[in-house]
Amino acid sequence: MNKLSPADLDKMSKAPVDKPKDWIKVGLSSCGIAAGAEDVFNFFVEEVKKRNLQIEIKKCGCTGMCYAEPLVEVSVEGLPSVIYGAVNKEVATKILEKHVISKMLVNDYIFEVSI
Amino acid sequence: MYTKVILVKDTDLKREDKTREFYTRLLDYLREASLHEQIQVVRVADIGVYEQGLVVKVLPDKVTYINVQDEDVKKIVDAALSDGKIIEDLVFKPKAKQCRIVLRNCGKIDPESIEDYISSGGYLALKKVLGELGQQKLIDEIKISGIRGRGGAGYPTWMKWNFAREMNSAEKFVICNADEGDPGAYMDRSVLEGDPHSVIEGLIIAAFAIGASKGYFYIRAEYPLAVERIQKAIKQAYDYGLLGNNILGSPFNLDIDIRLGAGAFVCGEETALISSIEGKRGTPHPRPPYPSVKGLWGKPTVINNVETLANIPVIIAKGGKWFAQIGTQTSKGTKVFAVTGKVKNSGLVEIAMGATLREIVMDICGGTLSGKPIKAVQTGGPSGGVIPENLLDTPVDYENLQKLGSIMGSGGMIVMDEDDCMVDIPKFYLGFCVEESCGKCAPCRIGGFQMLGYLKKISEGRGIPEDLGQLRRIAQSMQKASLCGLGQTASNPVLSTLKYFEDEYNEHILNKRCPAGKCSSLITYSIIEDKCKRCGICFTNCPVKAISGGKEEGYSVIQDKCIKCGRCFDVCKFKAINKK
Repeated sequence: MNKLSPADLDKMSKAPVDKPKDWIKVGLSSCGIAAGAEDVFNFFVEEVKKRNLQIEIKKCGCTGMCYAEPLVEVSVEGLPSVIYGAVNKEVATKILEKHVISKMLVNDYIFEVSI
Repeated sequence: MYTKVILVKDTDLKREDKTREFYTRLLDYLREASLHEQIQVVRVADIGVYEQGLVVKVLPDKVTYINVQDEDVKKIVDAALSDGKIIEDLVFKPKAKQCRIVLRNCGKIDPESIEDYISSGGYLALKKVLGELGQQKLIDEIKISGIRGRGGAGYPTWMKWNFAREMNSAEKFVICNADEGDPGAYMDRSVLEGDPHSVIEGLIIAAFAIGASKGYFYIRAEYPLAVERIQKAIKQAYDYGLLGNNILGSPFNLDIDIRLGAGAFVCGEETALISSIEGKRGTPHPRPPYPSVKGLWGKPTVINNVETLANIPVIIAKGGKWFAQIGTQTSKGTKVFAVTGKVKNSGLVEIAMGATLREIVMDICGGTLSGKPIKAVQTGGPSGGVIPENLLDTPVDYENLQKLGSIMGSGGMIVMDEDDCMVDIPKFYLGFCVEESCGKCAPCRIGGFQMLGYLKKISEGRGIPEDLGQLRRIAQSMQKASLCGLGQTASNPVLSTLKYFEDEYNEHILNKRCPAGKCSSLITYSIIEDKCKRCGICFTNCPVKAISGGKEEGYSVIQDKCIKCGRCFDVCKFKAINKK
């Protein structure tokens, strides 16, 4: 890989973000993994492939709400991005079917704590 | 497509949950008004506000209304559909708010991707330092910011750096202290796992400030994921030319290595940490000379905590003045706390210095899990003290906590309710320190052991009034004569509980009673005949068959056999077990 020059660094940090519009982030720090986040992450990756959904599944660290792990943040165009807590495969299915496909927030699992 | 979302949650724990009821009512209203295709109503698990009745939050406006009544529904819906109208008398104005500097990227970026870090502004501070600032201006900027070490002692970071910079030595070192060992504290782990590059960037800047060409991460081996992510991040930084020779095209060179701690608490103390990296036994040394003068391999060394280093890039990027605006007179910036214990929302909280303990525990973390009143809050782990409920309004900073007989420490915060015994708590912490004492100096080795003996004696009901004086005497000599921070502070939990909860000690000593029902030697379980329904659940659950009797004649506890595990107390549905 090429070593960065200061100008390269500027370019990288200002580069237009051509990230996919929709994404799901799964918190994969020790606290999340202990609560089963790895299973949830793998489940999302598999299901998205199986259902051929246009959404990116990403990893992230812990936001600090350790009591509600595994945490999953979902951002889908047209809906406010929200964090779901205590997510298992069942909730993950609901998130995909309701939130991602039908574009409606899922009841009872949102942890809306303003940070 | 919905234009607005209304989140609903009943936050009053004392009554039956009314979330569903209100949810249906709101839906009915929307249907009647034919607005149900514009607004989605969602029940949530947590709305970030506690003990404020029915709470409603409108998204994407992020407006929160509290203590909502049925007649407010129309107003709220109208306001939600208008352009930015807010119902002033219902809107929630938060008392305490988190302020994220250290945790800025945690939970936002992919910790295993350097591109993510760079696109959120990462390594720009390093560029600024190398290209514009230079050593002197860099240290000046840190001085203006007023940041103090987040590892516990609170020594000004710029002074550490400046001492090391002024030393004339061909070789200098920087070390990131990630040997986080306090029970219940895990802020550093989360930062290392969630945003490893911020710590690496901080360490590179520190190295540049003092002119070091070699750096170490000292991470405890119990954090395998943190080690893995730091390893990955270091490799990425090398690949991009942010480590190694000629960093970002400048003449500055730096190599970073990882050293694993082998599980000794004392190795978080800087001189012991240095011994450990040198391959020696991890025991502390007398200071001075301080590591900034004579540290690793006898060379000037700066040791900074993970959290301190994670702050550095932000200070450089936004300026020392900006940072100095946050916090109190003597303590600038924010502090991350790992709030655990009997609290509803345990987790990490980053607040500006000067917020009160009550705001952290009640407003941000939602109070106690059991709903029982808070008895005390313990800060600073085994080196800290216990702060009673009536002092929770003290603003958090280094000096205030010290005045209360506790310390800021690395940021562990353990919440205790009525069921925690104030003799048992210091016994636990002291037990920890006795285990972890390296044994090099007598005050810590012998003093800790002796104090633990007295605490055990008191908790077993064999204490005499003179023991308290003896505890104080030993505690003071440990504070004065111990070699390192571990011994000097090990007595803090005992002294602070003696200061605020002496009554509870006396209750153990004079009346042989443990008010919290924790000290097993001082409690007895018995069955209250009037309340007993003779279901036999205690009988079947007792692990040592210490409950005799039958459904006909009733049950009783055989005191000689009882091991006081409390199983019967927990399983009895009729509260027919008496714990005294």
